[in-house]
Amino acid sequence: MAVHPSHFGIPTEQALISEINKKYANRVLHDVGLCICVFDLVEAGEGKVRYGDGFLWYKVVFRMVVFRPFASEVILAKVKSSDEDGIRLSVGFFDDMYIPIPYLPQPSAFDPNERAHFWLPDSEATTTHELLDSPTSSRMYIDQNEVVRIRVEADEFYDDEPGPPKAAEGVQVRRELRRAPFSIICSMAEQGLGPIPWWKSAEAEEAMDEG
Amino acid sequence: MEVLNARSALLSNHEVLTLLRELDSDHLARTKTALRIKKEEDSSGNVIGRGGHDPTTDDVSENLRTVEVEAIQYLSADYQPTISQTPAGITKLVKELAPFELTKAEKLQVVNLAPTEPVELYVIVEELEDRLGGRMEDILSVVRASLVSPHPTTTIAATEQEAHEDAGGAPQIFLEEEQKWDDDDEGSRGGEAEELVYPHEDLFDDTGEGVGVEGDLDMEED
Repeated sequence: MAVHPSHFGIPTEQALISEINKKYANRVLHDVGLCICVFDLVEAGEGKVRYGDGFLWYKVVFRMVVFRPFASEVILAKVKSSDEDGIRLSVGFFDDMYIPIPYLPQPSAFDPNERAHFWLPDSEATTTHELLDSPTSSRMYIDQNEVVRIRVEADEFYDDEPGPPKAAEGVQVRRELRRAPFSIICSMAEQGLGPIPWWKSAEAEEAMDEG
Repeated sequence: MEVLNARSALLSNHEVLTLLRELDSDHLARTKTALRIKKEEDSSGNVIGRGGHDPTTDDVSENLRTVEVEAIQYLSADYQPTISQTPAGITKLVKELAPFELTKAEKLQVVNLAPTEPVELYVIVEELEDRLGGRMEDILSVVRASLVSPHPTTTIAATEQEAHEDAGGAPQIFLEEEQKWDDDDEGSRGGEAEELVYPHEDLFDDTGEGVGVEGDLDMEED
């Protein structure tokens, strides 16, 4: 970790934490998660000047707060957008969270007019066509910005490292569409998951009887 | 740079929120200081020369501010129980959850989601009926008891108040189940690896005042 001479006046710890945050905050660390901020410094060696630049180099061991929900963890998120393939969610600081069709409560269908998916509980309809025939009043829509409870199913890390250029006569082949370095697949296909209001009981304030 | 331990401890949403709020109030304080210094310099007509720029007024990385602000927003949302929790309340909650034999992951989720209704508990705890049958309501009431009504304002005043609560600025550490993961990283010179300092050692939280109840939870596996 390098500390610039202009930072020599401030306490080393602060300078190091600041450098670490600069380097990692809001960035995805492969196979680890989204780095938020430094938690603390565990150990820092003595600063040594490296020949060639005026920086002080430190060997640092530190702990970082990282966002990476574990598999099967239940969290709250907001619906960011919906399309024929599923629903995209966000937690504000991170929005590469997706629910593919199979993980939506069944049976459900996508209403292209509303641009939203809806659930038809207790329905025996099986085809999209039948589902779209249902009366709108019995549809439980999942709207944009709705707060939902979801279960994390899996996450994926994509390493964006540029490989060796596939040169064909000196022309570099363009890399494919950029993929998110870190994405999370979620589900709301269980009782209790999905929009919060779906499961809020009438007497939420008073003591509950067991169901 | 080498990752020593990709998951050295779990943090609850509340702990993370507390940590971020402190960071936030630090930044705001520094910005104020910077403005004050600037005003003094301007008004005295005499610039206090410094070698380079004043590092205490250094721009904090944009990325950090962005993720910090957004994370604070998410965690202090009113659909989350996080703002209705207190460190003492959480410690108590975890202690009281002990007899129910929940896994680390389940306890973490109970703390983070603060279920107050059976259906919420169903999604968190596997085989709820078999394991807990009639004691569901006990868990729910313990959770309810740990929540207080949120601060009327979540402005800087509240933030500073919390900073004071946290004994001298260092976050209270709970080595319990939590949502965010901790990482260990080793920054080495210019990127060369080798020189392993701590291969796979379980790094214990050693910043002192942990009200961490079960310090050995880290050793268990789910």
